[in-house]
Amino acid sequence: MDPIRCGGGHDVTSTPALCLKDCGYSGDMFEGTEDGSPEEIELRIAAVLTNLPIIRSLAASIAMRADFDLDSIADLRLAVDEACSTLITQSAPNSTLRCAFRVSADEIRFVVTVPSTSDSKPSSDSFGWRVLTTLTDHTATWVDGPLGDDADASSPHLVHIELAKRRMEGLPG
Amino acid sequence: MTGTQSSRARDHESSATGYEHLTPMFAEMAALPEDDPRRAELRNELVTGHLPLAEHIAARFANRGVPREDLVQVATLGLINAVDRFQPDRGTDFLSFAVPTVMGEVRRHFRDASWSMHVPRRLKELNLAINAASAELSQRLGRAPTPSELGKHLDLSPEQVYEGLEAGNAYHSMSLDEALSPDADSDPLGDTLGQTDESLEGVENYESLRPLIEALPERERQILTLRFFRHMTQTQIADRIGISQMHVSRLLSRTLENLRKGLLTDPEL
Repeated sequence: MDPIRCGGGHDVTSTPALCLKDCGYSGDMFEGTEDGSPEEIELRIAAVLTNLPIIRSLAASIAMRADFDLDSIADLRLAVDEACSTLITQSAPNSTLRCAFRVSADEIRFVVTVPSTSDSKPSSDSFGWRVLTTLTDHTATWVDGPLGDDADASSPHLVHIELAKRRMEGLPG
Repeated sequence: MTGTQSSRARDHESSATGYEHLTPMFAEMAALPEDDPRRAELRNELVTGHLPLAEHIAARFANRGVPREDLVQVATLGLINAVDRFQPDRGTDFLSFAVPTVMGEVRRHFRDASWSMHVPRRLKELNLAINAASAELSQRLGRAPTPSELGKHLDLSPEQVYEGLEAGNAYHSMSLDEALSPDADSDPLGDTLGQTDESLEGVENYESLRPLIEALPERERQILTLRFFRHMTQTQIADRIGISQMHVSRLLSRTLENLRKGLLTDPEL
């Protein structure tokens, strides 16, 4: 069997899979890697609201390529937008937002983290939280201290929001 | 504009054009001073009375990939413009002036209002095809389809479906939603709502949120309520309101963004 190549000619080691080089190729779709372990995608980006379109496009693209139904794709896109926007507004100045997606066979899990000067977590009574819980199957938030290299005296806290969107039941495959 | 008014207008369709009874109102309106409150009444009656014309023109452009309700809105907007600009003393009758005006408005909508970025025609068509297939598959499946189901249905590769879906993000529907002010709202669906409040209580920033939600255009508020307080899916909402799922998605996305901006600028917070 011929090795699988992406459009850029790089070997794609697992099927279905993304080419890990930057040629923009993605396999037919991905639902985790070949051995069944989840696909991990991480984005680090300046914690400013003008970056939201990049983050939500990535979220939509991941859900689309994982072959989620159109409602779920739209829901995840909105939820990621909401979660990131919430954290950006409470981020320390000049900080970096870390967005981690984990795509497994039955769900997409998203964790967004931002350094903050405050140890308060987003309110679960807010309208924004109502938006998140309506749009996703799992919502959580917590605050902890930065570890190792991330430690920074000016922003001693890390605020996280975690979301999970499950694949709709009754879908083929 | 109420249902009784438009049904009364329809009763007159048995006569030659169905609009003769409206003609004298143009002269009456033109004779009134600018600030006479009667002008607004006449204008309203003229627009309402001619609504079947806008619907008729919209119907001629139906099935070209733009939701019918959008076309009716654009045509209605054209009609309002026509009523405002028509000068009865010029000697032409209103219909010969209004028909080209309304049709021009609808054509312009097709040409530019719907896409904010330059998107190649191939992608626009792909996106429209996906939109149509999505509506059809949603009906059949009872839920929104996946990209692979769309690909199978349209005989497209996954990459083509992704491209078409992404092209949809450049689609711009704001002009028609914003052009119609809440006052000009003729959407009877709007009447079915207005129960946002009870379900909103218990939300911490309810007090700051309520005026923002109330200030939303009718349709945005309705979509917001159906999604977050009635827990309907975007596909179900699309079906209920009569627009595409992608359009619901765009409106919802913009509404949430505006609410967030509104909450952030609220001095109380």
